[in-house]
Amino acid sequence: MTTAITVEGLVKDYGSFRALDGIDLAVERGEVFGFIGPNGAGKSTTIRILLDLLRPTAGDIRVLGEDPATGGPALRARLGYLPGELILSGTATGRQLLTHHAAVRGGRGRDRIAPLAERFLLDLDRPVRALSKGNKQKIGVVQALMHRPDLALLDEPTSGLDPLLQQEFLALVREERDAGTTVFLSSHVLSEIEGVADRVALIRDGRIVVVDDVAALRAAAGQRLDVTFSGDVPLQALEGVEELQVDGLHARGIWRGDTTRLIATLHGLPIARLELRDRDLEELVLDAYRTEGTA
Amino acid sequence: MTRIRAVTVEIAWQLGRRRRPLMLWAIGLTAVAAIYVPLYPSIGGEQMQALVDSLPAEMTAALGYDRLGSAAGYLTATVFGLLGPALMLVFGIGLGARTVAGEEEAGELELAAAAPVRRDDLLAGRVIALHTQIAVLAVVTFAASALLSASVGLDVSVGGIAAASLGLNLLVIAFATITLAAGAVSGRRGVALAVGAATAVAAFVADAVAGMLDDGAVIEALSPFSWYLASDPVVNGVPLTAYARLGVVTLIAWAVAHDRFRRRDLGV
Repeated sequence: MTTAITVEGLVKDYGSFRALDGIDLAVERGEVFGFIGPNGAGKSTTIRILLDLLRPTAGDIRVLGEDPATGGPALRARLGYLPGELILSGTATGRQLLTHHAAVRGGRGRDRIAPLAERFLLDLDRPVRALSKGNKQKIGVVQALMHRPDLALLDEPTSGLDPLLQQEFLALVREERDAGTTVFLSSHVLSEIEGVADRVALIRDGRIVVVDDVAALRAAAGQRLDVTFSGDVPLQALEGVEELQVDGLHARGIWRGDTTRLIATLHGLPIARLELRDRDLEELVLDAYRTEGTA
Repeated sequence: MTRIRAVTVEIAWQLGRRRRPLMLWAIGLTAVAAIYVPLYPSIGGEQMQALVDSLPAEMTAALGYDRLGSAAGYLTATVFGLLGPALMLVFGIGLGARTVAGEEEAGELELAAAAPVRRDDLLAGRVIALHTQIAVLAVVTFAASALLSASVGLDVSVGGIAAASLGLNLLVIAFATITLAAGAVSGRRGVALAVGAATAVAAFVADAVAGMLDDGAVIEALSPFSWYLASDPVVNGVPLTAYARLGVVTLIAWAVAHDRFRRRDLGV
């Protein structure tokens, strides 16, 4: 079986601006692949090239084994797409809009409109332009997945969904994967999709900086440690904390590895306040960028 | 899915979501006919001719008011020469700009273009839906003008009104398609509107200027507005060659749109 997505040396220029600078990607069939990067990194551009909305400047692209530029409707019939900026307007209701999208696909997916809407508590009888951003996003999600595509390309799918619905969405993504759909989803927030993604690629300034499975990435990223002591503490006590900065009774740094070991390290110290949190994506990408730059 | 089915689904979708605005425009055009046509018996004929004679000849020629002396000329100068095309061009050019470029700029075209439909067919569905809506308005204009003319006893033939309505239809379709094409090529609604409005106004002005000149035939040969009305279709019926030219302009614009739209980046 062919891969879901193979991209080699993908370059996209807008005039003199290089949006994508030699992207390589390989997404296997049946996996959930996360595409992580800050806004403007090139996530949407990549996805829109896979859908033949944009034409690449250079590079070799295979989507389900075919070149998007020549695959045409037959290829796009096997894809589902949620745009990063979903714009729905007009007086059509959600039901009318989704029925139309099913009609464009020869009726495929029509039978799933009602159950999916029910699951996401979506009122199908209101005009789409009157819907909140979150409700529009739900329409977009239903539209992208209802016909059980072989490959779903979801650009920032969790944006606009509240935490509860994000969980429901991620559960749906897992189900669709188990039913055979390959899911390629982008986000600028790793934490939003790390529960569902098997592997992720980090993109920055039009280049892939790292591809790895989520657990390994998290472990490599470490956590940010922020601790305030209630009494003097010798610096040696904080051995193992990287990029340690001490300011009076306040110390901060990065902790990588086993949390149990950190607790052991801090054991017995006079601690007034302790915070340990996953590092946010921007830091992670910067790290990866530095590593690549020096490698 | 066959291509014909793809185009049909797109046409139905475009028309379905445009029902309400189209109805309002139809009412507007009916109102134009309803205001002008019944006025003629009370102010038309010699009275009107006297008024026209008192105005500068260049001005009456530019506005087509030199025709006001006869019922057919009156209908030509008012419904078919001025307000009908003005309203319908505003409709056609506005919709032509929105149909592709407007939706593209707004981001609404995204899902349609990512669907399993060829871009040519997506464009064809939208072009045909645009033409259909204009045709509906032309038919409404015809029906309103014909019915009102008959009811107030205007001395014009139904065939003449039909001929002028057909010309109006072809004229507006031509400029709407030029507008749509400018949008399909550029992806910019503003560009589409500018091109559509500029060409339509240029055609109208050229036709008006040609009417003032002793030898305006050269200009009339170039202005689509002259192709539409210069031969007095209300009196003389369909000018085949002139109307065919309007059709050719439409086809050329469509071909240009087709050629560029299927090859370029969308939504950038």
